[in-house]
Amino acid sequence: MTLEEQVRSNRIRSAMLLLSFGLVFVGIGAAVQAVYGGAWLIIIATIAFVYALISWFANGKMIASWTGARPVTKGEYPELVRAVENASIGAGLAQTPQVRVVDDPSPNAFAAGGSPKSAYIAATSGLLGMMDKRELEAVVAHEVGHVRNRDVRLMSLTAVLVGVVALVADISLRLAFFGGGRRRGGNPILMIIGIVMLILAPIAAFGIQMSLSRRREYLADESSAEITGDPEGLAMALWKLKLDTTELRHANRATAHLYIETPLNNTSGVRSALSGLFATHPSLDSRIESLEKMGGFQLPVPAGQ
Amino acid sequence: MRGGEPASTGGAKTNPARPPPRIIAGIVIFIYVIAGVVVLIAIWIVLIFNHLIRLGNEAKRGWSNIDVQLKRRTDLIPNLVEAVKGYAAHERQVFEEVTAARTAMQQASGPAQAGEANKQATAAIGRLFAVSEAYPALRASENFQKLQDELTDTEDKIAAARRYYNQTVYQYNTRIQSFPDLIVAKLGGFHEREFFALDSPAEAALPNVDFSGGGAPAK
Repeated sequence: MTLEEQVRSNRIRSAMLLLSFGLVFVGIGAAVQAVYGGAWLIIIATIAFVYALISWFANGKMIASWTGARPVTKGEYPELVRAVENASIGAGLAQTPQVRVVDDPSPNAFAAGGSPKSAYIAATSGLLGMMDKRELEAVVAHEVGHVRNRDVRLMSLTAVLVGVVALVADISLRLAFFGGGRRRGGNPILMIIGIVMLILAPIAAFGIQMSLSRRREYLADESSAEITGDPEGLAMALWKLKLDTTELRHANRATAHLYIETPLNNTSGVRSALSGLFATHPSLDSRIESLEKMGGFQLPVPAGQ
Repeated sequence: MRGGEPASTGGAKTNPARPPPRIIAGIVIFIYVIAGVVVLIAIWIVLIFNHLIRLGNEAKRGWSNIDVQLKRRTDLIPNLVEAVKGYAAHERQVFEEVTAARTAMQQASGPAQAGEANKQATAAIGRLFAVSEAYPALRASENFQKLQDELTDTEDKIAAARRYYNQTVYQYNTRIQSFPDLIVAKLGGFHEREFFALDSPAEAALPNVDFSGGGAPAK
């Protein structure tokens, strides 16, 4: 597959994502209307349509407010801004994406937004403190690779659409089972929405895995190597990320796939048991290994331990 | 390539002077086929032409990225020379080298020449920085630090722009040298583009990203 085919496939997938989002809510609306009557189908479908419309144009801003990514100037973070500038030049982007920083000690980075013109690159303050210039440039080039490959719109749309499913599921469950305590038995409509959502939310989360294959991350790693000409720099950066075990404060399942490394680390219990099944990212070891093969080098520390 | 022409109207009986309708129908079909092939070839040529134009534009944009940084570099050099002169006026030889390199950069026409001049400038500026190591007061000066920082940044940006430019030129040149596109390129007046500061053509082709592999890295 060439870059053009990758771009086209991302565009088609974005359209399909919106379509299936719409269908899910039309289905919910129809179910509620069938049980309860009234004009629920049109109401729910309209709300979903408006939300999808907003998502298409403002997904970058929505994600920024969820993750706490604030725009920064070159004066504040000269190294980061320069890294983004250089990677954009190396990738041949017509325009340098906006640069944002998330104040969080956990090292991570992501790209979000729509077209390359409206996309932005965000890094956590933890990442800036941990990486040297070469590693930072490699990580930033990975994100710029997502922008160039037109992954960002699809990834961002997935985040905001899946995010709202999770949110609605959460709210309706609470209202259905706990909020309705004043009235006996709870509200049947909310109950139905809640149950449907309860079923839907994990399916939607699984949908992320389906629509955003882990190949995308390998691809962005390769793009980074192409942009910087330095696969070793990225391998070292990934190695550092692997050693780190802090968890991002604002990360959740909806936005997890946006980051360069999975932000939901080392949690015990159910989430950890499910992490292999629902992993949004390939293991850092295999990514490092793939970079080692590509660049014909070997990191001093054995990657698989 | 339509075959639905009326072939049996009985016209042959009423007018024996005209060729039988089967032959007319045959000719009509033949004309349709020829027209269809011509249209297909025309579409194919237009597609290739557009592709080459796009690749060429990408190379142009890549070059303008380099050009912007080269200009920035030539603008910074006099400031740097001035800054160093204030502390180390007698290091005349290095100043001359840097100035000569700058002139070469300004006079260079085309990516290949500019690449050579840029290499020369990198070496000269490197020597100037090496010389300035001996002057702690100079190194402590804020102006000098800022210039050094800016020049390092331009150098990084030239390196990044160079990688992208050479990759696009490699793609473009390969396309217009290989068979079907070759014809369109000749007819459309597409010419090969020069690389910028490239040691070997193979350098531009690597690393090759394989978009189909599941993380299986290309060479």
